[in-house]
Amino acid sequence: MKHYEVEILDAKTREKLCFLDKVEPHATIAEIKNLFTKTHPQWYPARQSLRLDPKGKSLKDEDVLQKLPVGTTATLYFRDLGAQISWVTVFLTEYAGPLFIYLLFYFRVPFIYGHKYDFTSSRHTVVHLACICHSFHYVKRLLETLFVHRFSHGTMPLRNIFKNCTYYWGFAAWMAYYINHPLYTPPTYGAQQVKLALAIFVICQLGNFSIHMALRDLRPAGSKTRKIPYPTKNPFTWLFLLVSCPNYTYEVGSWIGFAIMTQCLPVALFSLVGFTQMTIWAKGKHRSYLKEFRDYPPLRMPIIPFLL
Amino acid sequence: TGEWHKPGRRRIVPSSVVLTSFQVMSRVFLIWAVTHSVKEVQSEDSVLLFVIAWTITEIIRYSFYTFSLLNHLPYLIKWARYTLFIVLYPMGVSGELLTIYAALPFVRQAGLYSISLPNKYNFSFDYHAFLILIMISYIPIFPQLYFHMIHQRRKILSHTEEHKKFE
Repeated sequence: MKHYEVEILDAKTREKLCFLDKVEPHATIAEIKNLFTKTHPQWYPARQSLRLDPKGKSLKDEDVLQKLPVGTTATLYFRDLGAQISWVTVFLTEYAGPLFIYLLFYFRVPFIYGHKYDFTSSRHTVVHLACICHSFHYVKRLLETLFVHRFSHGTMPLRNIFKNCTYYWGFAAWMAYYINHPLYTPPTYGAQQVKLALAIFVICQLGNFSIHMALRDLRPAGSKTRKIPYPTKNPFTWLFLLVSCPNYTYEVGSWIGFAIMTQCLPVALFSLVGFTQMTIWAKGKHRSYLKEFRDYPPLRMPIIPFLL
Repeated sequence: TGEWHKPGRRRIVPSSVVLTSFQVMSRVFLIWAVTHSVKEVQSEDSVLLFVIAWTITEIIRYSFYTFSLLNHLPYLIKWARYTLFIVLYPMGVSGELLTIYAALPFVRQAGLYSISLPNKYNFSFDYHAFLILIMISYIPIFPQLYFHMIHQRRKILSHTEEHKKFE
């Protein structure tokens, strides 16, 4: 069996960083990354981007050395992706914040509203209902992060956690401040409005969860396989007939429901910002589905049936 | 995280879209949301201060861009663009801050652009507090932009002195 030699150069300076000899032909990029870490321990595998061309795309961990277009001496270019943090850590932190912060406002902890309101309780039913819904939503997200989702990437850049937490925690505090305010005004159309909004919220939460389960079942544990998602027996998943990312569709729906329930402008703004971001993600996902699968169902739109 | 396709931008000059948009927005804000909206500050000297600073800056800056595009940039223009900011930028910032500060009591008195609780959209906005936040934001932002320009100056003016040594 012929062994390969692998030299790793810095993508920017072309400096020779590492030379590996006697590398097995069926070694994967992941294994090469591990070998590289031995000589440069500060660059753990998650922060290494190895590519064949200094300006090219990163090679995947699963790529096998002998299948790459290289001679028996392979030259790989290294780029430092910066400090990394696991997706699970980021998700748990960014979701635990809103759960906790909202409750601070709900219980009217001192120094938020006037002192005469400390630890008082709202007289509006909808305020209690809103707390239950908001808390349920984030508990659901935390549990899904721990038990449902199968992430294709292990890590993301460290700075993302600050960005993401500012967004989630900031908006949670902003919404919670108004909904739990002593001067909160309940919805104009009263109990009817709240009931309708609650129904929308519950349906969309169930829908979102159904999609997460369906996506999980597409991918066996520990693998990174990608398949086209299809509707299952669960009626909530039938939205796959019309959109590529029904989880985002249901998520937007949940927040619209919550906005109608609380009739609170900051909630509507949060829904709008979230919708914008999710649309960008959905369009990207849709595009990558189309690129990867020739037989992708043509009726599907990224996030809103027939429209967007 | 995937980096989904970013739409291409048309580039006529090499300035950063983000930094420039930021500057345009802050200018529009000063003009419309402060000076135009609060008539009482229009006679302040601080308004004169930032208008003069902006005017001189823009005349030089656009001359710079125009000559650059025509591939005939007199050194004087390049020098002016990367040197006069040293005085003009603090001048403009002082004018802006003093104007916002002068507007504060009138904003508070009139409750300008402000909405308070209770209301049916459960939303509030205090323009007076917002203006104070804007003033505070100058503290981290101004030094960054100023030293960015100083850094650019060092890079670009020393380049010319070495007769365009290529890297």
